[in-house]
Amino acid sequence: MRDRRTGNGFKVADTSATKSNGAKFVRKETNKPDTLKSEPVKSNKRTAPAEEESEDELEDFGDVDIDIESDDDEEIQEGDVDDSDGDIDEFPEENEKDQDENTLVGEEGEEEEEEEESDDYMAGDSLDEEDWNEEVKTSEKKDSDKPDRLPEIEADYDSDSSTEDVENTVGKVPMEWYDDFPHIGYDIDGKRVLRPAKGDELEKFLSTMDDPDSWRSVAVDKEGKDVVLNDEELDIIRRLQGGDIPDAAYDPYEPTIEWFSSKKEVMPLSAAPEPKSRFIPSKWEAKKIMKIVRAIRTGRIVPRKPASEKPRFYNLWGDDEQPREDHIMQVPAPKMKLPDHDESYNPPEEYLPTEEEIKEWEELDPEDRPKNYLPQKFNSLRQVPAYNRFIQERFERCLDLYLAPRVRKNRLNIDPDSLIPKLPSPKDLQPFPTQQSISYEGHTGRIRCFSLDPVGLYMVSGSDDNTVKLWEISTGRCLKTWKFDSVIHSVAWNPNRELCVFAVSVGHGNVILIAPPRIGSPEQTTLTDQYFQQGYAAMSTAGDDKDAKNPIPWVKPSEEDQENLGYRVQLSHTQAVKQITWHRKGDYFATVAPDAKNLAVLIHQITKYQSQAPFRKLKGLVQRVMFHPIKPLFFVATQLYVRVYNLMKQELLKTLQSGVKWISSLDVHPGGDNVIVGSYDKRLCWFDLDLSSRPYKTLRYHSQAIRQVTFHKRYPLFASSSDDGSIQIFHGMVYNDLLQNPLIVPVKILRGHSVVSSLGVLDIEFHPTQPWILSSGADHTLRLWT
Amino acid sequence: MAKIHKKGKSGAAINYVTRNQALKKLQVSLADFRRLCILKGIYPRDPRNKKKANKGSTAPTTFYYHKDIQYLLHEPVLHKFREYKAFAKKLAKVMAKGQYSTAKSLEENNKPVYTLDHIVKERYPTFVDALRDLDDALSMLFLFATMPVTEKISREVVEDCQRLTAEFQIYIMKSRSLRKVFFSIKGIYYQAEIKGQTITWIVPYQFAQAVPTDVDFRVMLTFLEFYRTLVGFINFRLFSEINVVYPPKLDLIKYEGAAGFNALILEAMHRQAPGSEKEVEAEVAETQKEVSAEDAARMKASEQRLKTLGSKLAELQGSADTDRPDEVMEEETEEAALDEFKAAAPTNAEVDGDDSMVTLSQIHAASTEVQKLQNLFSRCVVYLSRETPRYALEFIIRSFGGQVSWDETVSSDAPFPENDERITHQICDRPKQGHRFLSRTYVQPQWIADSINSHNLAISDNYAPGAMLPPHLSPFVEAKEGDYVPSAEVEEVEEEFEGETEDINPDDVDDLDEEEVDSADEDEEDEEVTAAAPKKVKTDEHEAELQAEAAGIAFSEYEKEAAPKKTTSKKTAAGKKRTAKEIEEEEAKELASIMMSNKQKKLYTKIKYSQNKKSEEVAKLEKKKQDLAKAKSGANKRSKK
Repeated sequence: MRDRRTGNGFKVADTSATKSNGAKFVRKETNKPDTLKSEPVKSNKRTAPAEEESEDELEDFGDVDIDIESDDDEEIQEGDVDDSDGDIDEFPEENEKDQDENTLVGEEGEEEEEEEESDDYMAGDSLDEEDWNEEVKTSEKKDSDKPDRLPEIEADYDSDSSTEDVENTVGKVPMEWYDDFPHIGYDIDGKRVLRPAKGDELEKFLSTMDDPDSWRSVAVDKEGKDVVLNDEELDIIRRLQGGDIPDAAYDPYEPTIEWFSSKKEVMPLSAAPEPKSRFIPSKWEAKKIMKIVRAIRTGRIVPRKPASEKPRFYNLWGDDEQPREDHIMQVPAPKMKLPDHDESYNPPEEYLPTEEEIKEWEELDPEDRPKNYLPQKFNSLRQVPAYNRFIQERFERCLDLYLAPRVRKNRLNIDPDSLIPKLPSPKDLQPFPTQQSISYEGHTGRIRCFSLDPVGLYMVSGSDDNTVKLWEISTGRCLKTWKFDSVIHSVAWNPNRELCVFAVSVGHGNVILIAPPRIGSPEQTTLTDQYFQQGYAAMSTAGDDKDAKNPIPWVKPSEEDQENLGYRVQLSHTQAVKQITWHRKGDYFATVAPDAKNLAVLIHQITKYQSQAPFRKLKGLVQRVMFHPIKPLFFVATQLYVRVYNLMKQELLKTLQSGVKWISSLDVHPGGDNVIVGSYDKRLCWFDLDLSSRPYKTLRYHSQAIRQVTFHKRYPLFASSSDDGSIQIFHGMVYNDLLQNPLIVPVKILRGHSVVSSLGVLDIEFHPTQPWILSSGADHTLRLWT
Repeated sequence: MAKIHKKGKSGAAINYVTRNQALKKLQVSLADFRRLCILKGIYPRDPRNKKKANKGSTAPTTFYYHKDIQYLLHEPVLHKFREYKAFAKKLAKVMAKGQYSTAKSLEENNKPVYTLDHIVKERYPTFVDALRDLDDALSMLFLFATMPVTEKISREVVEDCQRLTAEFQIYIMKSRSLRKVFFSIKGIYYQAEIKGQTITWIVPYQFAQAVPTDVDFRVMLTFLEFYRTLVGFINFRLFSEINVVYPPKLDLIKYEGAAGFNALILEAMHRQAPGSEKEVEAEVAETQKEVSAEDAARMKASEQRLKTLGSKLAELQGSADTDRPDEVMEEETEEAALDEFKAAAPTNAEVDGDDSMVTLSQIHAASTEVQKLQNLFSRCVVYLSRETPRYALEFIIRSFGGQVSWDETVSSDAPFPENDERITHQICDRPKQGHRFLSRTYVQPQWIADSINSHNLAISDNYAPGAMLPPHLSPFVEAKEGDYVPSAEVEEVEEEFEGETEDINPDDVDDLDEEEVDSADEDEEDEEVTAAAPKKVKTDEHEAELQAEAAGIAFSEYEKEAAPKKTTSKKTAAGKKRTAKEIEEEEAKELASIMMSNKQKKLYTKIKYSQNKKSEEVAKLEKKKQDLAKAKSGANKRSKK
């Protein structure tokens, strides 16, 4: 059996096929309009039920069939019986009318029908076939009628329930919600539908006993009453229980009918004639093809022409080559580095690396290696293997070419010696000290200071071993030793040639003026004695008020000391005196006690036995002071600056900005216009006072702090000593012409002092008349360089 | 008032663009940009002030020259890249649909193809420019000619490389422009001179290349793409200059037989007019090849009427006679060279006089030197044993005028067999030789390279099979002052040892002590001599000094002037005194360096540092050498005892 829906569609064809005569059928159809015209509308309606009737019968028969599940024979018989019954019951009149119609309209039709029947019988080859056909027919009919028939059943049902018009409208909600209420929902008017009264269990039981349909009745919650299932529904339930397809009409094992098979049918499935276009070649296609053909013929299109006939290479650079002008931004790629001897397969043996070198090379990162290969030696070319990094090296070269920034770098191809400034040869600048000639030994501590007498015969030196020694310069003999109870900070010989006096700073602020006994000519000794007596006289005449004016006491030493040691006068400062410096005339001397605040710098006058503090207040820590060799000027060097004061006018003249971090030493050129400053940060600054307050030249050549700088009094020489144990001698020529800059030429480095606990040469001083220099060091020696 | 300059509107700020800016401007992907940079030869720059170039940021960035990028905007290849991108999309779409025939036709008709001709011309406006930049190109092509075909490296590429390199080698051989050869551990370096440009390239030894995984072949292939174009055009030009048709045809039979560059058939070019080099008529050459000797003679007669083409005919004949094309070339060049000198010498002498004569003779000497080198092996007939690298040696020998043959097993087309009597040299690399011909010398391959580099045929005894070879030195090193020169030292040391051995053997005394004693004696004698000499000179010196003082010359200067005279007089006593003088000089330098400015001082120390480093290296090598020599002499002595 076929699907219901398709069934309708094929009905016509089927019938035509089975009934074998299409024309008849057509005519039958043509009859119908006639009937419509002649009869009222009803009749038309009737015809349909008429058909239905017969089908109804069949349906019933089907039902029975299902119910009983009996043999086919029985079915047919019973169906037949039902048929007649139904017909008679339902539409007796109509039937008659139909008959009337048939009789009236077409006798021919009847006849033909008969004929048809007879034909059928005649033609029927076998009973089976007919049976089958019939079955098909019936089932089809039944199928098609089903929708029409169902309302009828419902009509029955409706008629049953038409009395109660109550309909529950709660929808699809769980009915247990209404369990506690007397109603079970609402009807269409919104009124409660009351729960139908239920009897007790006995009543129920009795009713089941009474009612023969009780076994097939089901309680419906919504309506609150029982519904009796009809046969169909029961059948469905039964099938579901049995695991069958619920639709009894469906046959899962229907034989397939291959409509579109390889077998060629005599008759077409579709009666539509073949379109003409299928037989005629396309005009448009022909046109298109002809267009191409014509193009090919005329040569406009060349099929499968070779890719290019042009030669791949030609003379790219014609005769009109124009070289590109150089541009600063165009940097040509550097060429590859050409191989060195050690890249040879058979290099000289000295190029072969030792095992340590190989190890070192291997430990380096590949980027850091100076060369990317290790020299190797092979006895013959045959043994040389393939170089395993060849491709990588080419690749790296490629990367360099397109990823490495190119910079034009001018390689300085200059002789380094040409950078050294052309200076006059030191040989032309002689004399200057060149070598050590005498070493004065005797001190047992580092010699912090020494001083030469103005003539240049004697020298006093003060040391950390608490002694001051007097030396004869030319022989190196120690003439006298003064023993003190603390460290000697400074000694300074009076520059007055007529006197023979030097000052010594001892320990915590004692400054003693000593006229060494039995040294110097008798005139000198008498003059010196007179000098100091004059001073005492002046002090006594001045009296108490003068005494009060003195910031520090002048004390007369004992007779014994005066006699034996030559002490003349003793000044006691509040703080340790680090430096003593004399005025050129020898009457004044200045002391520096850096920690003594406003009394750090004192100027003492011997003739009056008087001290004065020239500065009410001092800025910074005073390192050195110095009298100007000619003018009444006074230089005060603090850590960073050198200040120049006019002592007469009592004003600040100039501040020299050294640019160093900590000034250690200071000296003034005998001409008075140039100053050199040494610093603990290894620098030496030359100031030209006429030029600027900034250094004319700053030199840095010592490897350690500069301790002392000094000018020669007569020769154009200056020197610096440092903690690196060297003394540097310079030729420092100052010209009278103001337009000419001073000439500074280094001429000699004197090395000899050894460095002891990172202290080297502590003090130097030029000989007053000779081009000699004396030095004292931390190695307990004094040396004379000539 | 002066114009106010806005910051970032001039100078480095607009001269340079970062890479990302460039990408944005060109609207290309990074990969395409890199390819463009490779093809166009654009490289990053290093602005002097990075801060100014990068809006005040010092982050590490790559800068490009702004104008380079600007020019790229109009680059046809860039447009082709874009077209290709569109094409690739189309193709992908079609392929995804499975429409393979459409894809095929797309591929055939619509695939954008770009050429790099214009870029070559743009990057190298003149032919000489192109030659100057040939080193990398050749090295790369020679490498890829030996590469195996993989999925990344296609067969076409390798074959093209092989062909281009073979063509170039043919040119080098024909024009005899090879100058130096060096067997290194990396490969064989060649140096040729073409149009005054030295071109150096390296060829790997003939082994199968192991393709590494840490190399980006896309980059290399892009480079190769450009280099192939470049070398192709250069080859064309070079071939047309020696009047040979380009491209030469490939003899497939020979090619199959591993003939290398011999598989290319050279055809002479027929010129219609002297200017039109472009018109290559290979057919003419072919017909002439077929012409028999008689025809050639007839043609010769006819063409002699056109006097200008006389020499060219000889050349044509040469190419027809495939055996010795090179010899003819050589004769021709020699003749030409002689002519030139004859013509040039008198005119120059008339015009310029003596000075120009000197330069002329120099030029002449140089050219004869080159000619000598070019014909170094012209009298050699060389046979290569099968263990030697045939292609390399054949190329080298033939570029210096030699005739070469090789073992049949190496490749098929050997010109003459091993037992040919003309053979003068046989190159072999095995310690022992089975059958030796008495008529020829057996040498190792290094003999060839050393002969070329020394411009003379080296003494073959040192290179006999199985002998300890003399060291093979790089011909590319030009020894400057202070550099270590291995060869010079070798001789000195050898001489020393000869002397020593002579002294020692009779006496049986420890050699080193003896030497020291000797030297000390000599010194003393010398000093005596010097002591005697000054007395005579002294009086003269005093006078000279006085004169100098009067003239206002500083004493030190006078001394310096006088010094050479003195030193000549006391030549031998220099030993100790020189050291004193040196010390003095050093001190003077030290003193003078005090007065240097800070900047100069830094520069000075830097230069000195590098000098010291170099001299240290030299000293190290010398010490090693001495140690080796000592060890060797010790071993010799022991063996003698």
